[in-house]
Amino acid sequence: MIKVIDLHKYFGDLEVLKGINTEIKKGEVVCVIGPSGSGKSTFLRCLNLLEIPTKGEIIINGVSLTDNLKNLDELRKNVGMVFQQFNLFPHMKVIDNITLAPIKVLKMKKEDAVSKAMELLAKVGLTDKAYEYPSRLSGGQKQRVAIARAMAMNPDIMLFDEPTSALDPEMVGEVLEVIRDLAYEGMTMVIVTHEMGFAREVSDRILFMDEGIIYEEGKPYEIFNNPQRSRTKEFLSKVL
Amino acid sequence: MYLVDGWIISIEVTVFAALLGIVIGLLLAIVKFSRKPPFAQFADWYISIIRGTPVVVQLTIIYYVILADVNLPRTIVASIAFGINSGAYVAEIIRSGIQAVDKGQTEAGRSLGLSEGKTMRYIIIPQAIKNILPALGNEFIVLLKETSVSGYIALNDLTKGGTLIRSVTYDAFTPLLTVAYIYFLMTAMLSAALSKFERRLRSSD
Repeated sequence: MIKVIDLHKYFGDLEVLKGINTEIKKGEVVCVIGPSGSGKSTFLRCLNLLEIPTKGEIIINGVSLTDNLKNLDELRKNVGMVFQQFNLFPHMKVIDNITLAPIKVLKMKKEDAVSKAMELLAKVGLTDKAYEYPSRLSGGQKQRVAIARAMAMNPDIMLFDEPTSALDPEMVGEVLEVIRDLAYEGMTMVIVTHEMGFAREVSDRILFMDEGIIYEEGKPYEIFNNPQRSRTKEFLSKVL
Repeated sequence: MYLVDGWIISIEVTVFAALLGIVIGLLLAIVKFSRKPPFAQFADWYISIIRGTPVVVQLTIIYYVILADVNLPRTIVASIAFGINSGAYVAEIIRSGIQAVDKGQTEAGRSLGLSEGKTMRYIIIPQAIKNILPALGNEFIVLLKETSVSGYIALNDLTKGGTLIRSVTYDAFTPLLTVAYIYFLMTAMLSAALSKFERRLRSSD
């Protein structure tokens, strides 16, 4: 479903990604872990071209993103993204946050978009907040709305960029629960996270990134119980 | 009555200049964001020249040099000059208002498949307006006070009215303080209206 070939990214002279190769299959849940500055977020942001790769290729559903920079909007529709800072639109009610893109991009009828949005809000447990402004919501509620907003576009893939890192500890659980539900429904997901317990439980595969490369990868129990390489061991011994 | 006539002229010049300033400022801001080289370059030059020279100098150049051979009423010439001046500041206010919107908002919009234009229209501009309108109000308060140099092109505005009375009566105190008081009243009213308006803008947060 997603194929990444020799992906490089420079910020000025700084090489942040030094050749990433991986493939993500349909329905697979991949968690990306690693120390800060290892390029995890940059890698994720390259997958929907919020960062334009300096070199290399990204192929989603057989279409090369990097060859189609003109048709970005078309390709981005299929890739949902959830940000660390939620990035809800503060001037719109929750319901309008969710229906904006379906109406303006997918040309859905307003009634259809609203009923779909209400379904999604029910799924994330926030039906009663549909007509509130984001400023009235807690961090956890905002992030659940952000997930519903991304899901409203019926994406093939969901990307999560440290979805719980900006949350108060007591709100982490409610957001992880929503992501977990999506995983069980068979959503293809790439999640950058510092929640090791969650990564172990929910993912089919773990990518451990360090210094701009995928340093080690494997099944969760392999990585967490029996890491093979030195920096993986060192990192896990610090965070577990 | 020098002061009443002058007061009306000051208000006329301010209102016309403000309207012209908004039009010019909007055009400059659009051109700057279009990133089309010759036009964006022009906008940059326009803004740095206007901001880098005193408004009195601009006013006199426009009256005595650029429009020297055109027979226009002085009120119109002053309005054009102050409008051209204000446009540069309005453009900067609009630009900074748009840039003050968090970058994450653009990213969220683009990641949902909205085009650059739709992201601007539905997400960025509505939020930028909250930054822009209060600053624009301030700009008009400044503009009102700046029109007091209209006397340099022999336009009998409020300030000039005070000066005329002083030269006729040989009393400096009364006319000049009256003029100052009238300006103060006008700007105080504008500020009051502005802060009321700002409170209303903020109430939707």
